[in-house]
Amino acid sequence: MLKPEGYIEIRFGPRWKYISPARVFIQNFIAIALSDQTKADSIAMAVSELLENAVKYGASEDTHCIVQAFPQTGTIQASVTNHASEQGVRDVQAIYNKIMKGDALEAYIAQMREAATRTDGKSQLGLARIRYETGADVKLEVTSDHLVTITIIVK
Amino acid sequence: MNQLNIEPIAKDKIRLEVFDNGAGLTVQFVGDIDMEDPSLVLDPLFEKIHQGMVAKKIPFIVADFKGLTFLNSSGIKAVAKWIMKLAMLPPDQKYQIRISHNKAITWQVTSLPTLTFLVPGAVKVE
Repeated sequence: MLKPEGYIEIRFGPRWKYISPARVFIQNFIAIALSDQTKADSIAMAVSELLENAVKYGASEDTHCIVQAFPQTGTIQASVTNHASEQGVRDVQAIYNKIMKGDALEAYIAQMREAATRTDGKSQLGLARIRYETGADVKLEVTSDHLVTITIIVK
Repeated sequence: MNQLNIEPIAKDKIRLEVFDNGAGLTVQFVGDIDMEDPSLVLDPLFEKIHQGMVAKKIPFIVADFKGLTFLNSSGIKAVAKWIMKLAMLPPDQKYQIRISHNKAITWQVTSLPTLTFLVPGAVKVE
């Protein structure tokens, strides 16, 4: 793997109000690092969705986000890490396994249809949206102490 | 004001307004929808619009997203829920949702066309 030519690392307590400024900061960082506004917009959207999930479902007061730019290849790698409860880990693994199957658009439409009928207040659309709209390679890692990391790689 | 007497809504970073538009209506979204639970604002508005469109037999509504700079997936869920209501209507009560979008805003180009797949024929992106 090439070394990044620029990266940012953000840690914040899981408060909703910090997501919007984090999104704008990340958007500006990528736009400057890659000179590609469209990619900056779509990755900022993706990271914002991951941060929303971390804040909504996180089990501790710490959300950790790293965004790395590889201008040589036009690649951006972004990851969001947070602690989850045992149930939270099971939920994220289930949704990940579901949306990563088959065609990205079909998975997104199916997830939208399902979201429209949910009554529990959740949308569970974020990962499907990220996969379809950014074309990202999406990876999920879970440690034995329930640290959940979702990484997206956009080329 | 508009024929459904729906008042404008301003909440957090979003402003929503319904206008008469010829034989139809326009619902305009301006700002950002990135609150934790947008359904609190959007669901009641879409329900009022839906009930009014059916009761008054209004043929179309333009959903004008051109001024909406961000919409999170919870907001997309609310829009999808509105569109899915059209699938339940008998043919003589159906109306069309015409999505007006801004090609300079990346999320609108990638997100909004996907809504046309939810209920075939019910949504058009302009």
